[in-house]
This record gives sequence, structure tokens and C-alpha cells, in this order.
Amino acid sequence: MSAVAEAPARERSRPVERVREPRWRRRDRWWGAVFLAPQLLGLLVFLVGPLGFAVVLSFMRWDGLGDATWVGLENFRTQLTDPYFGRAVWNTVKIGLITVPGGLVLALLLALALHGVRGRTAYRVIYFLPVVTSSVAVSVIWQMILGGGTDGILNGTVQELFGVTLPSWLEDPTWVVPAIAVVTVWSSLGLNVVIFLAGLATIPPSLLEAARIDGAGPWQLLRSVILPMLSPTVFFTLVVSVISSFQAFDLIYVLVNPDHNEGAQTIVYKVYQQGFREFQFGLSSAAALILLLLTLAVTAVQFKAQKRFVHYES
Amino acid sequence: MLTLAIALSASACSGTNGGGDAKDGKVTLRWSTWGSAEDMAVFKAFTDEFTKKHPNITLKLEPVASYEDYHPKLLTQLTSRTAPDVFYVGDDYIGKLVADGVLAPLDEQLAGPDSKSRPADFFEGIYGGAKKSGVTYGVPNDTNPEVLWFDKKALAEAGITEDPAALNEAGRWTMATYLEMNAKLKAADKYGSIFWNWYGANYSLVNGFGGKVWENGKYVATTDPKSRQALKVLADGYRDKTFASADLLPEGNSASTQFIKHKAGFYAGGRWVVETIRKGGDLPNYDIVPFPSESGQPVQGAVAASYLTLNKDGKHKKEAFTFLTEFVSKEGQQLRLKGGSAVPSVKGAESLVTGDGYPAHAQTFLDVRDKGFANFPDEVAVPGLTKAVNDHLMKIWEGKLGFDEGMTQLQTLVDGMKGRQS
Repeated sequence: MSAVAEAPARERSRPVERVREPRWRRRDRWWGAVFLAPQLLGLLVFLVGPLGFAVVLSFMRWDGLGDATWVGLENFRTQLTDPYFGRAVWNTVKIGLITVPGGLVLALLLALALHGVRGRTAYRVIYFLPVVTSSVAVSVIWQMILGGGTDGILNGTVQELFGVTLPSWLEDPTWVVPAIAVVTVWSSLGLNVVIFLAGLATIPPSLLEAARIDGAGPWQLLRSVILPMLSPTVFFTLVVSVISSFQAFDLIYVLVNPDHNEGAQTIVYKVYQQGFREFQFGLSSAAALILLLLTLAVTAVQFKAQKRFVHYES
Repeated sequence: MLTLAIALSASACSGTNGGGDAKDGKVTLRWSTWGSAEDMAVFKAFTDEFTKKHPNITLKLEPVASYEDYHPKLLTQLTSRTAPDVFYVGDDYIGKLVADGVLAPLDEQLAGPDSKSRPADFFEGIYGGAKKSGVTYGVPNDTNPEVLWFDKKALAEAGITEDPAALNEAGRWTMATYLEMNAKLKAADKYGSIFWNWYGANYSLVNGFGGKVWENGKYVATTDPKSRQALKVLADGYRDKTFASADLLPEGNSASTQFIKHKAGFYAGGRWVVETIRKGGDLPNYDIVPFPSESGQPVQGAVAASYLTLNKDGKHKKEAFTFLTEFVSKEGQQLRLKGGSAVPSVKGAESLVTGDGYPAHAQTFLDVRDKGFANFPDEVAVPGLTKAVNDHLMKIWEGKLGFDEGMTQLQTLVDGMKGRQS
């Protein structure tokens, strides 16, 4: 063995000299743990604990009050062969398929329009208002707008002005998903706009300037500079939007009342219905786990795909 | 310190009282129900009266606006042992809560010296799932028997000369006559009958045909020939528009509107329809009749009910019972239901219904209540089952499902949900 090859071995064999940490650093570490403890405790009690409990429950039959019975995979079998649950999965996916791309494209266009505009803080506040408004209030307002017959503001106005009868958006199973999508996109638009504006602010002006000097037009600028530079932001909003669209509940529950409209019954609604209305917590937990697996699968695909379109280099 | 805080908060969450076990003998009694702001106002008079009589008890009402959200909240409270001392339970959930043993048995106290509402003061049929193996776990608060309101003007416009109430009194109020009247109404471009899609209307009609819904713990409405015939008549009637579903009529042209505008001959409902008719202003034109039978003899009709129950783990059992027995007693119901639209569940308060002589056959409400049935114990033992059955039937009424296929699917649905509970 040559001396060169032996050198690292000699290095490794040298005893590591223990350097005593300064007291202030140890004290900081201790205080760090103290400050983190409530958060960690909350995480354990309210997230990890219930998640573990839900996993166990999904293999049991339990009505919330009596004794629980181990049923193995029966709850998953029941869910996966139940056409109503299948429809709920499809409704969830449909809502995601409309709201995610629709919401992101609209938010991006608005952010591009607002970027560099004088007084954009005011616009930012305006667009952000629905995000901080209670989802129940949002739903009630949109109920008034989209109500069926001539009771709804939209339908009543169109009927009055043009004599055209529009569908009952919130009652017709065909139109309920687009109606939900419109309201969801509207209510989440502000958040995405703000994130995109923040992303746009990180693009170095010199880069845009250089592209312009090289003769790039607006479309080329967007396609070759802005979108690649914005791709980490797009990826982030995409992942977050997909997850939140899969978990949507309160807005849909108040806006449509899925009890009376199967077209609006999503997986989260099934979790609520089977758990708290039908007292079948095992079945409900299985539905929640299926939703978790679906979300993880879609997120995994997104992470895999990001390698193709996300550019992290500055 | 942290352990202490957790222990303290855990002890605060356990038990059922929201405070009030003070040494001065004063207790705070928590009770819950569902209902609108108007419903809550009705309870105020009772609460004021009760507080005057029992200054040591402070009543704390915890209402939930919507019926759909009430039981999920109650279940969560029961699971976490934070449920109120006294609470309402709907007739479609009572069976499950009884089976799970979270309600206090009441017979001993109801028969005891402090009782103001003895078991015999209530009609057996309306206990529904609140009784199990002869033990009472809930007392009906009040009722709403399902009857057929009829519009004399609409019937006359359709060329119908016979009065349904008179036919009923003569023992000739048959299913055949009723269906014939519906056909004539349809021919006159009106709805024969308007029904809400719930067990009250559906199962009353099944009873009228002499069918059965549950037998020996099995759902037989889809297999019993007479029940099937009744459901087929409903399905066909909805399809050819002899019947209208109140659930599907648009808000601007609701069942109430149709009825007061004389666009329908019959409207199945309870005493609450009086309010609808008052708005129309044509009071003498309307009267009531029970659901018809094949023979013309009275059959059992459905009676909507809710129950007042005591939390088995409640701390203030004595005070809770005092509240319960006074709430459902004759005096309590007279106070609560005065000028209202329900029918008392207790014997002796009949004048609330017949006192003002409206409708002319108001006694029918009481007759249906006395012999009627609350939702079936087998059905209410499975939470959500009644709703699932109604939702499924609605698909058949709407024509989204063929009748035979719909019946097969309904049986599978009921067996599946019942099986998962057992």
C-alpha cells in the first residue's frame, strides 16, 4: 500500500480531540429545546398521536362509544368496492383538476399584471381579502350569487336582462363541480398571487434586462426567463394547491350542502359523514387514510416531475 | 409544571359539568338541543318559569342551529365525556345511543315521587327506539303526526265531490279512493299529492297498503309484496307527476306555495302546515285526514318525535331529572307548545291542538299520535340509515334508478349498513 493511500487511514486512526462546548452555547441549546417543547408536544399530541390512532382505527370497527373490534382490511375493502366512495374520489379529483390549473394560471397572470405596477400593495390587499375571510362567509355570499331559479343574484339578473334561464348551479349535479371550482379559485386566488409576486421579485432585473438587450419579446421573456426562474414558486404553489383542493371541506359543505347533492360529495365529506353521522369511525379512518395515500401519491409524482421543469440555479 | 398543566386541563375536560357544583347547593345544568333562533325563544319562557321554581338550578342551553350538525357534536361530546347533563336526541339516532349505553335509564325516576311525567302519560307507539327491552331511556318532547292536508277548492276544481274527512268518518277512506282522487287532480292539471321524502310519508303509505317495513330485525320493505306495491305507486306517481316531491320543488315555487295556490289536492305534513295555510289566508278551505288504508279502517301513521334524555355520566342526576320531568310534563308542554305547531306527546294537553277548532278535524292529529308509530327501532339503531334510505329512494323518485334495480340496491344498502353496525 502506498504512503498516499495510507495517509487518510492514519488520519482516521488519530484519536478525536474532544473540544468542550462553551457554556453559553450549551445554555442556548437547552433554551432552544425548552422553546421548541410546546410545539413538539403539540405536534405529538395533535398530529402524530391522532394519525397513529386513525391508522389503528382503520383496521377496526368502532362506533365511538362502544368496544372496538379488529376487522383487518375489511374497511378498506368496503371503501374500495363502494360506488358512492368511488364517486367521492372522482369528485375530489375533478375539483382538483379544475381548481389547481385554473387557479394557478389566473394567479400567475394577475401577478404578472401587477408586478411593477404602481400601488400594487393596494391590489395585493384586495386580492388577498377572500383568503382572510371566513370560508363560511364566503360560501354564504356565493350562495346568494349562484342560487337557483331567479332567487340567485346571477340567475335573477341574467333572466331579467336577457330572458335566459341559467342552470341551478348549486343543485344541478352537472354544474355543481364547476360552481365549487369558481368559488374555490376566487377564494384562494389572493394567496397564490402574493406568492407569485414574491417569486417575481426574486428574479434579478439584470437578467431580464440582458434578455431584452438580446432582443427577447414579451413571450420569449416569459417562456425563457420568467417561467424558469419562477419554477420553484410554481412547484410550491402546485403542491400546496393540490393538497388543499383534496382537503377542501368547509367551503363545499356550506356552499352546496353535499347531503342534498351527490355531485359535491368529496372524500373529506365521506370521512365526516361516515364518522360523525353514521358512527363508523373505522370506515371513516380508512377513507381518511385512502385520502392520505392519494395525496402522497400525487405529491410524489409532482416531486418526480419537478426534475423536468424546476430550475433552482440562480 | 407542564405535567401539572396537562393534569389540570385533563381534569377540566373530564366529567360533564360546566361548573356549578358549588357548596351553596347551586348547580349549573347544561342541556342541548337543535333549532333556529325562533325555536330557542320558545324555550325562554320555560327556562324563566323553571328558574323561578328552582333558584338553585341555573340552566345553560347549548344549542346547535342545524339538525344535521347536532348529533355529530353530541357524539364527540359523549366520546370525550363532555356531553351536557340533559340533551335532545332525534328519532333517527336514539336507538344507537340506547344500544351504546350512554343514556340513563329513566323508569324508576319516572315512576317515583318526584316525577311529573309518568310512563303511562305517553303513548306507547311514539317511544320508538327510546325503549329497549322494556326500559325507557328517553321521553318524547312533543310530536308531529303525519297526516294528509287537503285543499277543498283544488278537489272541487278537479271534479271531486266527496270530502276525504267525511269518507274517513264513514270508514270509506280507502287507498283506491285516494288514488282515484289523485288521478282526477292530475287530469285537472294539478298535483295529486305533495310529499316530503322522509320515513313519515313513505312508511305511512306502505302501512296504508298493508305492507311491512321491518320484520324480525330484517328490512322487508323491498321484498314484502304490499310494501313494494306502495313504493311502486310512489315511484310511478313521481314519474308521471301525479305526485310532487317537496324536496325537489324550487324555493320560489315550493310545496307550501303550490298548496296555498290550489295547485295540489293533498299535502302530507304535520301540524306545522297550519302556519303555511295562515300565510295563504284561506283557512276554511283546508282540512286534514289520515293516510288511507286498503279497507278504509284506520292504520298506524308515522309520528315524528324527538326525545329528552339524561347523560348516564352526568354529575347532577337529581337536578337533571327535575328538568327533564318538568320539560316533558303536561304543564311543561303547555308552556312550550302554546301557539306553536307541534302536538303534545303527553296525555291531557290535547286542548293545545283542538282548542282553537282548527282545522275542523284537528282530532285526527291526536288519533294518529295515539295509535301511530315513531321510526322503527331496528332502523334507528343504525345511525344514518334512515337518511341513506331516503337518499336512495329519492334517486328512484327522480327516475335516476329503475324501480326493480333501485329496490335491489336499497336492500343491499340497508343490509350493508346494518351489517357494519352489528
